[in-house]
Amino acid sequence: MRSSKVAKRYARALLGLSTDNAQLEAWGAELERLAKIVDAPEVAAQLESPTVTHAERIEALGKIAERLDLSFPLRSFAVVVASHGRVREVAAMAETYGHMLDDLMGRARVTLTFAYQPTAEDLARVVAGLEAIAHKKIIPTTMVDASLVGGVIAELEGKIYDGSLATRLAEAERRLSG
Amino acid sequence: MKSRIAIAAVLMGAALTPTLARAAESGAEERGSWGALLFYVINFLLFVGILWKYALPAARHFFKDRATGISETFSKAQSAFRGAQELANRAAERMAKLEAEKSQISSDLADETVFQIGRVYDLAREAAARIKRDAELSATAMAENAQRRVRAALALAAGSLARDIVVNNFQANDQTRLVQGFVDKLGEQAALR
Repeated sequence: MRSSKVAKRYARALLGLSTDNAQLEAWGAELERLAKIVDAPEVAAQLESPTVTHAERIEALGKIAERLDLSFPLRSFAVVVASHGRVREVAAMAETYGHMLDDLMGRARVTLTFAYQPTAEDLARVVAGLEAIAHKKIIPTTMVDASLVGGVIAELEGKIYDGSLATRLAEAERRLSG
Repeated sequence: MKSRIAIAAVLMGAALTPTLARAAESGAEERGSWGALLFYVINFLLFVGILWKYALPAARHFFKDRATGISETFSKAQSAFRGAQELANRAAERMAKLEAEKSQISSDLADETVFQIGRVYDLAREAAARIKRDAELSATAMAENAQRRVRAALALAAGSLARDIVVNNFQANDQTRLVQGFVDKLGEQAALR
């Protein structure tokens, strides 16, 4: 979680620019793309280099936004961020914007770690179960970890729901050892 | 001081006067000795008077002081004698008491010895009980610790064994069943909210 007060302020400002959910979604995707480029080590090193002047930095970020074919508000947003010297915060802004947008849209992101590659049915069942708990639309990110032995672990809004066999075995081991 | 000088002057005068008188009358010895006798009588009376006037009070005073000194010394000696007698009486009484004190001290010492022996015995018994209790506690703790370690080792081995068995026998429907169990638990939690 890279959220900061600065990132929250900028994300909130961008969200306040429109009431159109589709447009906000599009801006979120564009901000993600911008963050990926700006956060890339070689680009970040160039942008943070002391040999680069403030004006050059603003111009560079404007060009990146143009190359990425971002919408006009996002290009302006990128320039404002650069002119305020907050280029390093772009990734955190994108993450925070995503969380805020999810809240706004009534959805939650969940990381599901399976012991084996899940079938579509298993994934759908787990997502449905989590939606029943969160009362939100669940957007899953799936991972596979063989050390779980069996079952699944879900991380939803900071909470861990553990249904893995590895944890059960560890619990049994702990009980046996007293 | 002045009175002594005066006394000395009168005595000197009295002593020299008969010599002068004898020298004056040496030529008229044959006229008879009444005058000389009178002179000697007067001279003697003067001498007696001077002695009565000056020497007698001094002698009286001297002897009175001497008597007083002797009397005081005597009473001091008597007092010292009485004190010595009293001390002697006390010493005799003390000597008489010493025997009783000796037996009392002997009895006290015997009692104290018995008390100290009892105390030492109690302390030794308490120390022995404490050592025994500590030893029991240590033994219990060591046994529990050993049991705990054995349990931990067994649990570790059992866990490892169970994990191996599960991994070797795990099938696709097991994963489906586990996922279903997970979903059921989520459903239970959702129902509780």
